[in-house]
Order: sequence, then C-alpha cells, then structure tokens
Amino acid sequence: MHVWLGFAILALVLWGITGVTQKLSTNCITSERSFLWFCWAMVALSAAVLVVAHPHWTLARIVVLCSLAGGALNGLGAWTSFRALESGGKASIVISLISLYPLLTVVLAVVLLGERLTWMQSSGAITAITAAILLSMEEPSKTQA
Amino acid sequence: MKQSRKLPAWLLWSIVTIVLWGAWGLVSKVASEGVDAYVNQLLYTVGLAPLMVFVGWTVHKRNSEENRERRAAGVFWAFLTGILGGIGNLAFFQAMVKGGKASVVAPVTALFPMVTVLLALIFLRERLGRVQWVGLTLAFLAIYLLSA
Repeated sequence: MHVWLGFAILALVLWGITGVTQKLSTNCITSERSFLWFCWAMVALSAAVLVVAHPHWTLARIVVLCSLAGGALNGLGAWTSFRALESGGKASIVISLISLYPLLTVVLAVVLLGERLTWMQSSGAITAITAAILLSMEEPSKTQA
Repeated sequence: MKQSRKLPAWLLWSIVTIVLWGAWGLVSKVASEGVDAYVNQLLYTVGLAPLMVFVGWTVHKRNSEENRERRAAGVFWAFLTGILGGIGNLAFFQAMVKGGKASVVAPVTALFPMVTVLLALIFLRERLGRVQWVGLTLAFLAIYLLSA
C-alpha cells in the first residue's frame, strides 16, 4: 500500500469519528458554540505540534499563503454549511450536495496543477463522490417524526 | 405576477461550501510542496483565527441559555471533535506531502461518512437504509480503484 494512501485512510477514519462526536456535541450546545470549542481544540493541538514542528522562516510566500488559506477556507466552509442547514435546507439534501466538493478539487487539480489520473483513478473518484452522496442520504422513514 | 428567480439561501450557502472546501484541497496540495504537515497545521490554525474571533463574538452576543451539565458535555465532545479533526488534518497534509495527488486524496478522504455510518451501525445500533448500504459498498470499491 502507498504511504500516502495510509495517511489518507487515517484522515478518513478520524474525520469519520468526528461525525459522531460532533453530533453528540450539537445535541447539547449550539452549532456556533460547538464550532468555537472545535477551534480551541485546534489551537491546543497546534500548541502541542509546535514542540515537534520545525518552522523555518524562509518559507516561500505562496506556500505560507496557501497554508493560511487552507485554515480560512476549511473553517469558512464549515460555517457556511451550518448556514445552509439553518437557512431551511433539508439535512439530507444539503449534506449530499456539499459532498460534491471533491469534484471541484479534482477539476482544479487537473486544470491548475496539471495532475493526470489513470482511468481506474478517474472511475474511483467518481465512485467515491457517488458513495459520499449516498452515505449522506437519509432514508425517508428516518426523517418522519 | 412575476415569479422570483432567486436561488434559495440554503442552496447558495451549499454552493459556497462546495467552492470553499473544493479550493481547500487544492491549496493544501500547493502548500504541501513547501512545508511539512506540522507547520501546515500551525499555519492552518492561524488562518482559522479570524473566523474563530467572529464566531466567538457571535456566541458572546447571543449568550444562549444552556443547562450547565449539558454545556459541559457539549464542550467536551466539541473539543474532542477538534482534536480528532486536527489529527485528521495532519494525516491529510501528510498524505499530500508523501506524494498523494490532490485529485485522489480529496475523494478518498471525502469518504469519511462511511466511518460515521459504520460507527452508528455498531455503537448506536442505527439501521442502515438500502441507499446507505449501496453507498458503503461503493466506498470500499472507490478506495480500491483510487489506490491503483
């Protein structure tokens, strides 16, 4: 197995667990307070990471900008997804719809970074996005009170 | 009467989310060419800070009344979500640093609902619908295809 795939699967597992812990949190407090404490945890983790990280101050400006933008984009995305749900969107539709985000990453990576996919990887990307949408769909019987 | 053609707010917010998260995968790949996963996580948190200030101000302004015990439980789970999410970020960045393509790593990691669904099935004893079973099967197939 490729090393990068092992790390990608680790991210998948950890983010998958957060699907449950986030639900447990928002059952008790508002989504905003939950998000705020999520951010505090990120700060705590980053403080711990400082011990092992070796930042060198000669980083290329584009790299720094992209790293900073990563935090802003991901955080804002979480916030706008809450807004979509609070604006009257059905959870089953909103979550399924936003599961399409990797499609944009694939397009941007191919167009802007010149990445090339094999036919198996292309079918895998399409299958993954389809799977993410199906997994996010709620059964009609579950949504009925 | 003229019919309004305005997009519903939830749809607009959803599209904005797709754009933001879709672009996140791209900038993470560009960043991974020049920094290790740890420094990336540090800068990521700095990038998150302005939003954190805004949300903190909103929470302070609303000051919603919550039961103290429930609030403590909610904060605990939110904090744990942040720690797990942050370590997940480190793994995501590391996947990029180790040569994973953004166009492959993003779809693989986007399969995280399969873990949530499996956990709900095992620990919360939730029953899966037919659609979710199909999704779960496709998720395993996707990982196999993407790892090729």
